[in-house]
Amino acid sequence: MADPILKVRDLTTRFFTEEGQVNAVEHVSFDVEDGEIFGIVGESGSGKSVTALSVIDLIESPGRVTDGEIWYRNETLADEFRGSTPDAVDGDFVDVRRLPKGVRRSLRGPSFSMVFQDPMSSFNPSLTVGEQIAEAVEVQRRARSNPRSTRSRTQGYGLGKLVADTLLPSQRYVSDESMDRAVELLDQVGIPDPEDRAEEYPHQFSGGMLQRAMIAQALAGEPDILVADEPTTALDVTIQAQILNLLRDLQEHEGMSILMITHDLGVIARMCDRVGVMYAGEIVERGPLSDIFDNPVHPYTQGLLGSIPDVDDPSTRLEPISGNVPSLIDSEMPNACYFADRCPNAMNDCLTRIPEYELDGRHSVRCVLAEREYDPNDAIDTEVYADD
Amino acid sequence: MTDSLLEVRDLQKYYFERDTFVDSLLGRERRSVKAVDGISFDIQPGETLGLVGESGCGKSTTGETLLRLREATGGSVRFDGENVFEMDSDELKAFRKDAQIVFQDPFSSLDPRMTIGDIIAEPLKIHGIPEGAGDQSKREWRRDKAGELLERVGLSANQLDRYPHEFSGGQRQRIGIARALALEPDFIVLDEPVSALDVSVQAQVLNLLDDLQDDFGLTYLFIAHDLSVVRHICDRVAVMYLGNIVELGPTDELFESPKHPYTQALLESVPRPSTAEHGRRVEALSGDVPSPRNPPSGCRFRTRCPKVIPPDDLNIDQATYRAVMDLRDALVVGDVNPDHIWEAADPERVDEEAFIEEARSRHVAAELRGEVAGAVDTALGHLAEGDEERARETLRRRFESPCETRRPAVGDAPHPAACHLFEGSDEVTVIETNESAAIEADD
Repeated sequence: MADPILKVRDLTTRFFTEEGQVNAVEHVSFDVEDGEIFGIVGESGSGKSVTALSVIDLIESPGRVTDGEIWYRNETLADEFRGSTPDAVDGDFVDVRRLPKGVRRSLRGPSFSMVFQDPMSSFNPSLTVGEQIAEAVEVQRRARSNPRSTRSRTQGYGLGKLVADTLLPSQRYVSDESMDRAVELLDQVGIPDPEDRAEEYPHQFSGGMLQRAMIAQALAGEPDILVADEPTTALDVTIQAQILNLLRDLQEHEGMSILMITHDLGVIARMCDRVGVMYAGEIVERGPLSDIFDNPVHPYTQGLLGSIPDVDDPSTRLEPISGNVPSLIDSEMPNACYFADRCPNAMNDCLTRIPEYELDGRHSVRCVLAEREYDPNDAIDTEVYADD
Repeated sequence: MTDSLLEVRDLQKYYFERDTFVDSLLGRERRSVKAVDGISFDIQPGETLGLVGESGCGKSTTGETLLRLREATGGSVRFDGENVFEMDSDELKAFRKDAQIVFQDPFSSLDPRMTIGDIIAEPLKIHGIPEGAGDQSKREWRRDKAGELLERVGLSANQLDRYPHEFSGGQRQRIGIARALALEPDFIVLDEPVSALDVSVQAQVLNLLDDLQDDFGLTYLFIAHDLSVVRHICDRVAVMYLGNIVELGPTDELFESPKHPYTQALLESVPRPSTAEHGRRVEALSGDVPSPRNPPSGCRFRTRCPKVIPPDDLNIDQATYRAVMDLRDALVVGDVNPDHIWEAADPERVDEEAFIEEARSRHVAAELRGEVAGAVDTALGHLAEGDEERARETLRRRFESPCETRRPAVGDAPHPAACHLFEGSDEVTVIETNESAAIEADD
């Protein structure tokens, strides 16, 4: 068993909106081991993307990570902070949330990096693709020569800027070396004729090519952990296959760990070693791929697997989960298992908050069925309960 | 064989760019985008025909054009024997009563300012239904009918006065289905009806569509990009690529023994949700779908096809041939820049051999030997001299595939595939005919 590079414990993220407090992520815990692909799967609104953003410290107002620890293995940082902030250090691990803001920021790039879902809207349409990747390289280069300073370029618009640009000698943020490195990265992710493509703008790229470019950008800092948030959802199935192959190759060659967020259980099955299933902000079941797919314990995991039409076997009628995804607004959330109102096996025991049960060290589940058999005599009437 | 409910023949839908008055004043030639380029199929009463393909292949355009929501550029569509494109406005209105559509996006296809009762009753109102309602007012009759429909699709009649924003995606899609059912149509075009929904909700809607078809004897054209959904719900499937149908057959047959290399690649690419899938490495199709503005000659799939046919007199394995063809495509679309190659090989631009070697390592993903290596090197030599045209021509002369000179026909077999690999092979055709005869006899 490989060592974890990332240990997330009790991560809790809330959004404070006008409609009330939204509990987007509730006490989420998982490990990402060295060189593995850990998958988080869930439906829309289950909190999987917010989990990813929380890990990489990109939650913006009105959201806030309110609780939890994010332990990241990094000897250098651990040694540096052992004296000053002993709370934040445990062996080789540092708790990213307790590090100073500047340090946290400097981790983005060399430690954590992110690939977003929609490549079309993640690039700046007014800069060339090469320049944007080179900018990521440049930030890392400057940070290495002057750690803790990762000032990025701010781009100005307007007449004044236009005049200044015309009169003053060129003040490019990006150096030639960074530009060369950007071309190398584009080549590495399989973009043909990278020298020319680097000079092109995002609209001249196809969706698949742009997703490759975004992966190149994420690789600029040579990250330990790549967070991929639905990296193939916007792509067609044949292009998806290309991107998944690319991610697998990079993970193997660069020894990266990947935290993969997706709604597609097929992608999870192809790519991930271990999986967490999210529902209503919680990880309801977590374990190795085979445990989750072949011996799911949580009725939600079972329902999710039963809902997918099988491309190789059309005979069975689908068995969907009844009802709809619940609201995550704090005042509307029951003091019970969040899945109880849709659960075919809900019992009276489910009317309280359910802890996480360990099954065999690797497989854990947030459901009373881990401890006891389903007893129909003890069933709650889900119809009545749902109307409350 | 029963009469088809819908007969589509050689349907074309082109969009034109540079087609304004100003463009004609400036003497610009208009450019066509061939969204749908001559497709034909039949739909029998009570069946579900699936139309699958990747984004931009023209599947949604097909659905909208055959309902005459867009004017076709050419071809014909017969519904119940009548040509839809020649209908006058009265006939068209009657046709619209029989043929309905459910749209993909449940958020933008319902008017946010109407209650769902009004949304479902609107088609009835437009078509003047009911003609008389006895004691009830017509409005009340329509309201009752909307309530019934709402119950039928799994919502509650007391939700009639709510607005669309109060419903979830899955519930809105049910409302869209109720609206399509209001006029008791025979035929519904389902344009990606579940692709905006989460899997658990998607399964609910698929089951609902299945039940409705049984209860009302509906005929569906089911447009989708998700192959597992198509397999689950369709009786027959047509696979589209770049405006053409490349394969059409009974669902089980098409999924179990796909003929067209594109269908095979699509099926191969789908990630299966099972442990056996772990670590499976898909031989992904190379490259992107070409632009419909300038589609490849001959077979449109040839630029990505892993089974592209080499010329008869050339002894070459498939991987090498694909690599050479990729080089040719790269030369055509301008992905090969001699300046960059010179820079890396020999900035002085003298050593042609170094250039050729560098170009091969960059753009040819296979080891070349013998005659093939000779022809490729000659072409790269021309490229080194800056004569791209001649490089292309040299390669074309030696490596031209039948796939690029001739457009494969779809054919009339019961499970046709538009691919040269299936042309002129009598054996396959004979087997197909026998099978279909057996199927017909069973019917």
